Amino acid sequence: MAPLVVRLTSFFLPAIGVPYYKGDGPSAEPTFLAALALFASGAPVERAKPLLSWAQTLQSPDGSVSVNPGHRGQGLWLTAHAAIVFHHYGFKENLKWAQDFLLSLRSVTIPNDPRLKQDNTLAGWPWVPGTFGWVEPTAWSLIALHLSGQAGHPRAVEGRKLLLDRRIPSGGWNYGNPNLDDKELLPFWDTTGLVLTALCGQADIDRLRPSLDLVEKRQDKIESLCGLAWAVISLQSYGRDAGRLRTRLRNLMGSMADEDFHVGNFALGLMALSQKKVFTA
Amino acid sequence: MKRRQFLKDATLLANAAALSGIAQNVPPEPCPVTLLAMPDYGRDLSREIAAIMLEDGLKLKGKKVLLKPNFVEAHPERPINTHIAVIAGASHACLRLGAAEVIVGEASGHRRDPWFSVLNPSLRGILDKKVKCVDLNHGDAVSVTNAGRGTGLPVFYVAKPIAGADILISMPKMKTHHWMAVTLCLKNLFGVLPGVYYGWPKNLLHFRGIDNSILDLARTIKVHYNIIDGVVGMEGDGPIMGKAKSVGTLVLSPFPLAADATAARLMGFDPQRIPYLFQAGRFLPGLKQEAVVIRGEKPARFAGQFDCPEEFRGMRGGPFF
Repeated sequence: MAPLVVRLTSFFLPAIGVPYYKGDGPSAEPTFLAALALFASGAPVERAKPLLSWAQTLQSPDGSVSVNPGHRGQGLWLTAHAAIVFHHYGFKENLKWAQDFLLSLRSVTIPNDPRLKQDNTLAGWPWVPGTFGWVEPTAWSLIALHLSGQAGHPRAVEGRKLLLDRRIPSGGWNYGNPNLDDKELLPFWDTTGLVLTALCGQADIDRLRPSLDLVEKRQDKIESLCGLAWAVISLQSYGRDAGRLRTRLRNLMGSMADEDFHVGNFALGLMALSQKKVFTA
Repeated sequence: MKRRQFLKDATLLANAAALSGIAQNVPPEPCPVTLLAMPDYGRDLSREIAAIMLEDGLKLKGKKVLLKPNFVEAHPERPINTHIAVIAGASHACLRLGAAEVIVGEASGHRRDPWFSVLNPSLRGILDKKVKCVDLNHGDAVSVTNAGRGTGLPVFYVAKPIAGADILISMPKMKTHHWMAVTLCLKNLFGVLPGVYYGWPKNLLHFRGIDNSILDLARTIKVHYNIIDGVVGMEGDGPIMGKAKSVGTLVLSPFPLAADATAARLMGFDPQRIPYLFQAGRFLPGLKQEAVVIRGEKPARFAGQFDCPEEFRGMRGGPFF
């Protein structure tokens, strides 16, 4: 783990946040994921301090968190990530503000459309305020609420219903709809692993089993860093064997060129290898 | 919003635009559009593409060029994305013409994981080592004033590599679209906007009106060249769920609307009946057939009828060639 942590920190910018890719400016998501990776790997809090200080500057008075200080009001879905960071590092006041904002952020709902075969009346969380709820921001918001003891909040209950409603019948999750015109959409490994993690201990296991089985049975098809990381995190969350996936993930992370180095996804990989519970209570 | 309601609204907007007399800077001369036969993806056409670019007056020597293909999501059986052989051909053509830097960049619309887009090993593996691939979904963005008024958005947050390029080349796939009838060069500009700001999909643009968003982007983002992958297109319920349709050509032009209008005709649509193309004709050249001069192969060789959702059958036309 140690060399991988060193590799991650080599992408940190002095005294501010972390970029997505080498050469970019700091951005909220890789900063939050890097801070969580440091937490998961047991690094001293001192190493995360510049990231945490920068993360706090991203928070607006309404509790929302933006993509970077220059673009206030953009990327507000990242408030969920910030809440997870504030939870693990004990920033109680920032966490409370972020939670309040998340609970106020509600996706647009519309009447049901028979073509989609999904419940459009359920509210989750949107990428951008004033738009529909989607799988990924809803899953991240649920993780943030679950970790901070808000699993019973009506918004969390409804959010979980939305995620269960968006399951692909044969297993897994697409980025949004489970099917279109009676045709099942393809499951994505990253969203499937993320949702399974978000619902761990919060939903009937029988309803999740087809998706867990899918990840387990088709693990050899997963090739990307992001997909491998989420597959490992999700299988480990349910106590399933992720040994082969972990080996492949470690090998991939050890051989990445700088030009392929997505800091956020690398940080997710570190969290997966650490086996520490970062996203589940 | 239901598709029929959307179409109704779009038609109203088209009429309103026609009445308001939006700025028209249409040049008097016809816009060149070149058809380059490519029966399959097995041929390297970089030499031919370079020759056409040169004939079209595209000067790339010493320039930073960004090629913007269309990667929505990966499906093993469906031709959703611009084919990597076409991207390679165009990239290598740019190198042949002396470009100082060639970048392939995309902000994929559905998939966050860049492995399924421009960072896929299959693409990287066939590109010259000098060509760089950039994930536009994640990374720096710059705020650019929206030059249009349709969406009501004051600015667009545009991926920084787009703003920093000297030359932008739009490289869409020739596809039907279940909301817009066709998706080609103009619609391809959604992919200059990072998902970190707009989400996956870019749902904000849907809420502001897809046609409004296309038109605002067309007014805001300068595209210098266009190459449509019409080797194998998609018909039916595109841009994701449709079926493969072999056409066998690339469509090349410096003028995005001329390229789109010509591709639409090759697909069996009358571009003047497609609301967003019709509206784009108010401020971009190349909508009408007489405003286009076709070079290269004869269009009749490739023209056909793309299957489409019932709602768009009224937008069909022709034969044009």
